[in-house]
Amino acid sequence: MILGDLLGTPVHDSDGIRLGRVADARFTLDGDPQQLMAGARLLGLVVSPHSWSSFLGYERTGLTQPWPLASLLRWRHRGSFVVMWDDIAVIGEESVRLRDGFTAYSPALDEAGQQ
Amino acid sequence: MKTYRPLAPVPPIAGRILDAQLHLLDRQVLDNDGVPVTTVDDVELSAPEEETVIAPGTPAPIITALLTGPVLGTRIFGGRPPSSRLVRIPWKDVADVGVVVRLGVSGENLESGWVERWIRDKIIARIPGGRHDPR
Repeated sequence: MILGDLLGTPVHDSDGIRLGRVADARFTLDGDPQQLMAGARLLGLVVSPHSWSSFLGYERTGLTQPWPLASLLRWRHRGSFVVMWDDIAVIGEESVRLRDGFTAYSPALDEAGQQ
Repeated sequence: MKTYRPLAPVPPIAGRILDAQLHLLDRQVLDNDGVPVTTVDDVELSAPEEETVIAPGTPAPIITALLTGPVLGTRIFGGRPPSSRLVRIPWKDVADVGVVVRLGVSGENLESGWVERWIRDKIIARIPGGRHDPR
């Protein structure tokens, strides 16, 4: 699967209620050790209720400057959340459906770009 | 106006975190000598292509390759080139992901640089003085 096909895909919960679109995919480097770097495993998807994609990632960092831009972009991405791979029931280019009782996590990253 | 309740942070993960849009896509790719190779236009995953019901406990997809190719037109007009037109840089060749993506191999042998190599060998090399460094 090509990641670009997944970004922007509508996300629904198990009852078919639309939750937003896939704004980003979060990977973690804890896969099998390889020659140079560990394998990158899909940890989950960042879902944004109001926007098609993520832009500059203000909803994931504590940056507040430049203030008009930071405030505007944080508002545009309000309500974003992360769903883990285990909570995804169907994944595809048309739609992503989550499992019943999925958990929404905060998309925040720290200053080093880590959780 | 709808208010959003604060969410719990993601459970602690041992490995380094990479968000595709923030840390990977559109980054420049350098080879092991620091020579620019290409940019990351897309990423290929090991997940199935079509809409598939995922059984609980299925291992998560992994990144198999970074993709690059003729994406200028599709960036402007939408869509993406067919999968067969995209050039793959295997994830096992990636040495580091930072401001740029560094490879652990030479870019000279990668498929992604064939246009540049073809122009160098077939056109530039035939121009008088085109076979040596400028002085």
